[in-house]
Amino acid sequence: MSATLSESIDRLDAAAESRLDSLLESPGDVGILDEHAKRELRRAILTAVCVPGYQVPFGSREMPVARGWGSGGLQITLALVGADDVVKVIDQGDDEGVNAVNLRRLVTETTGATETTEVDEATVVQTRHRIPEDELDEHQTLVLQVPVPEPLRGVERNIAELGRMHAEADYSRMWVSLYEDKVRNGVITKSTGYPCLVGGRYVIATTPIPRWDVPRLHHAPFLSLFGAGRERKIYAIPPDTDVEPLTFDDVPFEVERTAGARCALCGATEAYLIEVPPSVGGAEDGRWICSDTSWCRRRRATDGDA
Amino acid sequence: MGYAAARGGLDAIAAAEDLVRDARDLADSPWLGLDQLIDRQRLAVDRVMGEGGLWDPRLAARALQQAEGDTVEASHLLRSYRATLPRFSYSHPVDMDDAKVLRRIVPAFRNPPGPQLLGRTTDYTGRLLDRTDDDLARERAEKRVMESTFDADGDVVSNATDTAGSASSASVGLGDRRHRRLLEVLRDMDLLVDRRRTDDPKPVDITRAAVRPPALRSAVLATMARAETGALVNLWYRNILGPDGYIHEVTLGEVRHAELPVTVTHPHTGGPVDIGVVRATEVEAIEDLDGADEDRTRFDAGYGLCFGHNEKKAIAMANLDIACHRDGGGGNGGSELEQSILMTTDGLDASGFLEHLKLPHYVTFRSMVDRKMAMRAAGRSDTAVDGAPVPADPREGDCA
Repeated sequence: MSATLSESIDRLDAAAESRLDSLLESPGDVGILDEHAKRELRRAILTAVCVPGYQVPFGSREMPVARGWGSGGLQITLALVGADDVVKVIDQGDDEGVNAVNLRRLVTETTGATETTEVDEATVVQTRHRIPEDELDEHQTLVLQVPVPEPLRGVERNIAELGRMHAEADYSRMWVSLYEDKVRNGVITKSTGYPCLVGGRYVIATTPIPRWDVPRLHHAPFLSLFGAGRERKIYAIPPDTDVEPLTFDDVPFEVERTAGARCALCGATEAYLIEVPPSVGGAEDGRWICSDTSWCRRRRATDGDA
Repeated sequence: MGYAAARGGLDAIAAAEDLVRDARDLADSPWLGLDQLIDRQRLAVDRVMGEGGLWDPRLAARALQQAEGDTVEASHLLRSYRATLPRFSYSHPVDMDDAKVLRRIVPAFRNPPGPQLLGRTTDYTGRLLDRTDDDLARERAEKRVMESTFDADGDVVSNATDTAGSASSASVGLGDRRHRRLLEVLRDMDLLVDRRRTDDPKPVDITRAAVRPPALRSAVLATMARAETGALVNLWYRNILGPDGYIHEVTLGEVRHAELPVTVTHPHTGGPVDIGVVRATEVEAIEDLDGADEDRTRFDAGYGLCFGHNEKKAIAMANLDIACHRDGGGGNGGSELEQSILMTTDGLDASGFLEHLKLPHYVTFRSMVDRKMAMRAAGRSDTAVDGAPVPADPREGDCA
């Protein structure tokens, strides 16, 4: 683990250097974050990488996107990328989602980074609500936009008390709430943003990614950075880190599955599928399609195993 | 595709932007100029500067223009502009007693030390929709100024009638003088709890630090100074009439609108240099302490100060400052009210998060539907065993 961690830090340092270099080359470059802010962000990111799962407070800046629209993820991406980076931005798994398009445009226009929709070309993938179906590797960084970074808010509203609970790893009330949920409802009803224990120490909110994506964070080869701009928090899952969804020994963690669901376009069953409501009036009515559009498109184009 | 509403692509975004720009730039009526906004929509410009945390009337007017009059949106434009600028230095502390007073009222006494200086206000005017013709209004105003002992800025032009009981006249020429504060009088009368500190803690810079409760008082005050006006007014009123409450009404000691200098250290000479003037509204609120553990023989005070002329905001702020102190916040250990102030009054935070609900949420929604189905399946198997399904608890929801 230490080798990949130091690699990640090296990557961040290199990103900082490349950014400073490109600024020296073109001083007229107008960014949307000043260099002091980027330095502060990088320090917060490094702290987050060193203490996996710990929510590092930072002086979140106002972005040209509203808070709640990916301002935290955008700040992380802007602090990471330079002109030699390749950026993929998705929303709900879709490169063409309106907000993904807007964020991608802001990043590429102000940093000189190039854009892609192909995962394997990207150095940084910024995402809202999904992890790409393709496995990222150790050279890639996943930046997740986080609306609510606090996993315990459902059981405690007082912020000072929440600080104590994390500091003392006092997650007892979280466990009780999961138990009560199971007893009342027969299943654990938490849908997205499922709480996970990271590195055996801190419980995190897995943004609102679906449960489908949660197991893919466990021992992932890539670095995941979580940015909550409105709540001014950054946290990280370094490569090869334990990420365990909170559940009981006799209650297996369940991902989203619907019997018989299969992508109407590429035929995938082992992917996160979204339902097209029956009343829409299109060819896919009442059927399922992949939420990761570029993955689905590539499957159709290349192997025809649908 | 059937779910096209959730998709857009660059073309759709560009088209939406064009609709805004075309409607704006090709409108039949001429642009509302920046000078017009600054002169005639003064309070809106002041509000945007306050909530945007940046004093620059022309930029604030431009932001209002671009935002089609939406003050929160304009504040956002101002703040994200400021985020692009490096910060070189902090200004020197200002003694508010050195500020040039444009308006000052003291509701707590009929004859306070110093003047009751009404200044520019509609507080005492009937709220009648004025439909006077513009030209006629100007004609009348010109006549009024000719006959007046004061010019349009309220400065004296003749001493003819400066004798009328000054307690309520729109008194003049007093702006440059230092006015003794009501708090000083109360202190002399030994009627005020003394909470002045002897140390000099560095104020928290809320634009650089992620402020969380428990927080220092300076952080709570700075948060309110930049808060959305309506949010502060609502939080204050909620504490008066809402289901929970910390506030009982206070008496205002000072309400001031004043000009103050901005002084920084010159980077080369190292000496102080004035770089401009800002206007601010300042309020001191006198609290009649009535708690069992409080000093019932004395008063306490809350403080409010914000950019521009915004009395609603400064009054709410002063009320909430003392309420927060009494509730155990503002460096006093933390409180619920303090968390409400710190976490819920920022216009950009609240509006941004509210508006993000318009973004696609179909990935998360599909996951919620999955759980509904899982609950039903579990309920069916429970029914088979126990005869009755366990009702679902609808309180747990996903906020994303």
